[in-house]
Amino acid sequence: MLIKSSKQVSRWRTPKRFPVSRNSGASPASRIEPGVSWPEPEGATRVQRFKVYRHDPESGKNPRIDTYAIDRDKCGPMLLDALIKIKNEIDPTLTFRRSCREGVCGSCAMNIDGTNWLACIRSLDEISEPSTVYPLNNMDVIKDLVGDQTHVLAQYQSITPWLRSKTPAPAGHERLQSPEERKRLDGDYECILCFCCTAGCPSHWWNGDRFLGPAILLQAHRWLVDSRDEATGERLDELEDPFKLYRCHTILNCTRTCPKGLNPGKKIAEIKLMIQQRRS
Amino acid sequence: MSDWKRHDPLNRNPATARSSALYRAIGLGSAKSGAHHWWVQRVTAVALVPLLVWLVASLLAHARGDHQVLALWLGQPAVAVTMAVLLMALFWHMKLGLRVIVEDYVHADRVKFAALIAVDLVCLALLAIGVFASLYLAFR
Amino acid sequence: MTTAKLRPRSPDVQIYKPQLTSVLSIVHRMTGVFLSLGSVLLVAWLVAVVDGGDTYAMVERWLRSWIGLLLLLGWTFALFYHLCNGIRHLAWDLDFGFELRSIYLSGWTVVAASMILTVLTWTLGLAVLE
Repeated sequence: MLIKSSKQVSRWRTPKRFPVSRNSGASPASRIEPGVSWPEPEGATRVQRFKVYRHDPESGKNPRIDTYAIDRDKCGPMLLDALIKIKNEIDPTLTFRRSCREGVCGSCAMNIDGTNWLACIRSLDEISEPSTVYPLNNMDVIKDLVGDQTHVLAQYQSITPWLRSKTPAPAGHERLQSPEERKRLDGDYECILCFCCTAGCPSHWWNGDRFLGPAILLQAHRWLVDSRDEATGERLDELEDPFKLYRCHTILNCTRTCPKGLNPGKKIAEIKLMIQQRRS
Repeated sequence: MSDWKRHDPLNRNPATARSSALYRAIGLGSAKSGAHHWWVQRVTAVALVPLLVWLVASLLAHARGDHQVLALWLGQPAVAVTMAVLLMALFWHMKLGLRVIVEDYVHADRVKFAALIAVDLVCLALLAIGVFASLYLAFR
Repeated sequence: MTTAKLRPRSPDVQIYKPQLTSVLSIVHRMTGVFLSLGSVLLVAWLVAVVDGGDTYAMVERWLRSWIGLLLLLGWTFALFYHLCNGIRHLAWDLDFGFELRSIYLSGWTVVAASMILTVLTWTLGLAVLE
């Protein structure tokens, strides 16, 4: 079907996944095992089930999939409401990140029904029954739905996400931008670093140790087009690499999944064009 | 399948490493290349669009496949040159594409280098044979 | 550090939902590999033409067998798909068509166009043979 915005959930429920088994290629510690089914709510007319990825680092056991069920009539409208309800009323050990509950902070990014999105702005009306909830893909799991973002944040640090300027700051006022120059940052500055896109990028799955991934390349673009930054050439030098930048094969899972409706794929293409511009 | 932190290039980071996350993210730094690869892949792609349409149309026209007719047609200078150019664009494009695929999926360095050399040499050999064949038909 | 080593890696391709974006991309790659095999045939065919009537007749016989025809059909589709999707990629490289709606529209167009061109080519080819 035709998708017009990343908000849209595909009406096509199948295929749910690529033809690979759930544990194919997983290291022994990453293999997912069957979990437990928690009792269903009594007297509920609208039951919603969740198959949730669980991992308890202290148990020494492998990750498992637990099934929870809630009464829709006694729950808030969003997936995050359901997760909080489960944590409050069924299983207090369920662990996930959350903060703003309105799509601003990016903490509750997770894999919902096979695609990445923020739990706080995914309506329970939009998910399937039963629904699957996994942590963001290809991250070392600290606990349950909490992935270790150390590596992606280090990749962020590696692109020097700060103003690199040689001209001394003007006395008495800040470095000025014209409204047009400021406008060039639109579509970049809104990124909340939730890493839905990077976690959904197949190239980052295979080569995430070297490929920077869509979120970080979008941030790199943000500094490349900033009129106050004077390290454009150095930045392009640092990015021009078969892996850091050119592992992007324009698959565009990033643009499809961005909860803020940004377009990392387009920004990466623009970086590649900038590199060609200075060559010819 | 994607346990990449355990496939470290040339084992710079043993399992016991205390190196910082930033050190690992920087890796071996930027190769300061890739722009040429990107450019040539696009140039060959642009060339292949008309060339492949020409190839399909020509093969359709010769679908009856009479050997004499075919050899005469391939021997025409314009056809031989077009075919040689097509082969050059094709195998260059193929070399670049296969290289990326190897780099994507093969993480053990020695195997990867061997595969990359094999890709380059096979493409070069096929190109040489193909160009020789089409020029031979033109000059005999 | 010891706990970090034992951490499981969360699943990716095993659970990520196939979407038009990723499916068309992997098909582009698979058709590319398949076409690379086809290029060997193209060279072999040229060599057979050089070598003369007997060798050429052999290649021709193999191509007219059902397995040869099936492979040719596969190569025709792979060629048109890779060609159409390649043009889509070239447009992206020039920073055109990145809105999600355009991505999906061009994607489905590529699927339809490559199928139509394949059918058209084989209809024409079989008409020539008649």
